[in-house]
Amino acid sequence: MRRGLISWSREEVPPSVLNSRVARLQGEMRAADLGAALVYTSFARPSAVAWLTHFVPYWNEALLVIFPTGAPVLLAAFSKRVLEWIRSVSHLGEVRSAPDLGRAAAAFLKERPPEPSRIGVLELDALPWTVAEPIVRGRFGELVDATGLFASIRQPADDAEIRLARRAAKIAAQALGAIPVGVQRASEVLSALEASARLDGAEEVLPLIAPDLRAGATLRRFEGDAPLGERYGVELSVAYKATWVRVARCFSNNGLPQSWRGAAEWFAQTAARLNETNFSLEPLPPGAPPPGKLTAWTLEACLGSSPLSVAASSGAPARSVLPAGSLASLSLQLSLDDGPWLGGEPLVVGSGSRPSRRLI
Amino acid sequence: MSEISGNARAERRTRLVAAMAVEEIDVLVVAGNPWRSDYLRFALDVTPIEGHAFAFLEREGPGRIIVEHPAEAARLRSEQPLLQVSWSPSPIAETETAIRALGGRRIALAPLAAVPHRLAIGPLGSSVIPTTALLDRLMLRKSSSEIDAFRRAAALADEGYAVFREAARVGRPEYALVADVEAFFRSRGCPENFQILGSGGREVRGMHPPTERRLVAGDLVTTELTPCVDGYYAQICRTLVLGGPSEAQERAFAVYNQALEAGIAAVRPGATAGEVARAQNEVFRRHGLGEYVTAEYTRVRGHGLGLYVDGRPAVLEEVDLVLEPGMTLIVHPNTYHPEVGYFVHGDSVLVTPEGCEVLTRTRRRLFSVPL
Repeated sequence: MRRGLISWSREEVPPSVLNSRVARLQGEMRAADLGAALVYTSFARPSAVAWLTHFVPYWNEALLVIFPTGAPVLLAAFSKRVLEWIRSVSHLGEVRSAPDLGRAAAAFLKERPPEPSRIGVLELDALPWTVAEPIVRGRFGELVDATGLFASIRQPADDAEIRLARRAAKIAAQALGAIPVGVQRASEVLSALEASARLDGAEEVLPLIAPDLRAGATLRRFEGDAPLGERYGVELSVAYKATWVRVARCFSNNGLPQSWRGAAEWFAQTAARLNETNFSLEPLPPGAPPPGKLTAWTLEACLGSSPLSVAASSGAPARSVLPAGSLASLSLQLSLDDGPWLGGEPLVVGSGSRPSRRLI
Repeated sequence: MSEISGNARAERRTRLVAAMAVEEIDVLVVAGNPWRSDYLRFALDVTPIEGHAFAFLEREGPGRIIVEHPAEAARLRSEQPLLQVSWSPSPIAETETAIRALGGRRIALAPLAAVPHRLAIGPLGSSVIPTTALLDRLMLRKSSSEIDAFRRAAALADEGYAVFREAARVGRPEYALVADVEAFFRSRGCPENFQILGSGGREVRGMHPPTERRLVAGDLVTTELTPCVDGYYAQICRTLVLGGPSEAQERAFAVYNQALEAGIAAVRPGATAGEVARAQNEVFRRHGLGEYVTAEYTRVRGHGLGLYVDGRPAVLEEVDLVLEPGMTLIVHPNTYHPEVGYFVHGDSVLVTPEGCEVLTRTRRRLFSVPL
C-alpha cells in the first residue's frame, strides 16, 4: 500500500497542466463519438487517473468519469471522511463517496446519462468485475475499449511530468548512493534505500536485489534477509507525485571492476541512441557492440493505468509507439567476462535528429 | 523462504486441494494484482508486485502462473523453480486462451475482488462467487503456521510503534515518521506495511498517507501500523500527544480504552463480529458519544487480518459472521472525538477456543512525547 508522501504542489503540477491533459482526452472522446470515458484507479493501477487529476489512492479504488466537457468526477470507494483529503491532493470537479463502487457508478450514469451513449473504458478487459457488472447490467449504451485512445494522448510527456521524473530519478540516485560501503546483508541495503528515498519525499519505493551477481542476476523481492555476495545488484523503482522511474545499479565490495565502467559507458551510448523511429535494442545498434552479451532488456513507459508498461523488450516485438519526448525507463542486463551486470535509468526518448536525454 | 513459510505453503495447499476435491474442481484459476495479492498468496504462495497475475492450480502438480512483466516472471521462477511461469503484455487474453485450452475439465475462477471483466463475461463467470466463498472460508481460519506468522507480525508491529514514538518529534514532517518506520521494518526483513496517520487537534477527522505537515506541540499523533511477515499482516493503533496530555485528551483516552477492552472481551467463539462492534459502540453511547460511532465519523470497529490488510469480517453491528478459533482480527474503536479530534486505539487478536489472545503488547495508554 502507498505510505510515502502524497501531496499536490500547484507549483510542480499547475492546475492548467491537468486541465490541458483532460482537454486532450475530451477532444479525442468527441472525435470518437464517446459520451463518457471511465478510468479505473487502485493502488495497483493508479497512473491514468493520477495523470489526469493528480489523485493517487493509497489503498482502495475509485472510478473517474469524464464527459466531453466539464471537469472530471471521481467516484471513490472511500468513506466520506476521506473526501476532504482527496480534494486536497487532486484537481477534480466533484468527488463522491462510493463504497459500493460499481453500483455507485451505475447510479451516477443513470443520473447523468452520457450523450452520445457510447462509453469508452480505459482497459475495459481489465475493469474489475465488481465495478463492471452493475454498469454492464445497467445497459447505458455501448461500452467500448478506450485503451488505444488514451495511449494516443498519453505520451510525449509534458514539461511538468519530466520535472517530476527528474526529481524521482534524483531521489532514486541519492538512495542508491546512501547504501553503506561494505554492507553484508540485503536488509541493510533495503533499510538504507527506504530511509533515504522516503525522507526525500518519495511517494513509493519498490526495491529489488540480486544478492550475489556471481550466482545470478535475477532481481528478488525480499521477505526476510540474505547475505550479499561480493557483487550485488539493486533495482529501485521510485514514484514521486505519481511519476515512476526505474534505476538499476551494481555494487562491489571490492572496488569498481573495470568491466563495469565499459558496461556503463555502453549503456549511456545505447540509451542516447534510442529514438522514436528506433526504440528497440534488437538488432543491436550498429557500430557499438556491447562489452559482453546483452542477455535481457526492457524499455518501459506509462501508457495507461500501470505505472510502467513494457513498450519493447528482448525477444518480443515492440508493442507500442513511443513518440519523441516520451518518458521511458531502460533496463538491461549484460553478461560480462567476469559476471553479469545490471543497469537501468529513466530517459526522454529522442527524435531522429536529437539523442535521448538521460534524467540522471 | 523460511521453514515456517514453507510449512504455511504446504498447509494452505493441503486445505485448498481438499476443498477442490470436495467441490470437484479440476483447475482453479486465481486472479490477483499488487493490491489484491491475498488469494494468489494463499493458492500458490506468490506475491505480485507489478501488473496482473493469473495462477492455474490443479489438485496435483506445482501450478502455473501468467504475469504481465518479464522481470516478474524471472523473479517468480527464482522463488519457485517448479512453478511454470510465463509472461505476456496481454495477460488477460493469454489467460483466456489458456482456460480455453483446458477443454472440458471442471474449472473455477476467483476471487470476485480481482476477476477482470473479460474473464467474468466468459464461461467461468458463474463460478466466481461460489469459488470466492470457498476461498474465503479457507482463509478465515488460520492454520498453526499462519498463526505463527501472524504472531510475528504482531510482535513487529509493537516494535514498529516504538520506532514511531521515537520518530514523532516537534518540527518533523509526517512523512519523516513513516520513513523511520519503513527503514526499521526493512532492517527486520519486512517487505510490506500499511500505514496511515494523522496529526493535529480537533480539526483532524481521520487518518491518511503522510503529508508535509510538521508536528507541533500539543498535537495528537495517530497511526495504524500494519507490517507483513511471510504474507500475514498484523496491526496496531495507538495515539500519542506531543507534550503533556490535556484533561480532555486524557478523558477521551479513557473512553477509547474502555471501548477497546469491551470489544476484546466480546471476542470469543460463537460471538458475531456485530457483537464485538456493539460492545465497543455501547461504551461511546454511554458517554454520550453515540453520534461518533456512525458512518459519518468512522468506518469500522475493526476488521479481519491475514493475507489482506483489511479482510473479513468487517466489525460492524450489522455483520453476523460468527467468530471461530483461528480467526485473526484487529479490534479498534477508532473514531472522531468532538473535544480532541480523531483518536485511534486498537490491538490485533487471535480467536482461541476459550476466548481470544491479544497479540500486540504495546501498553494501552495515551503516550506522551516530551518536548
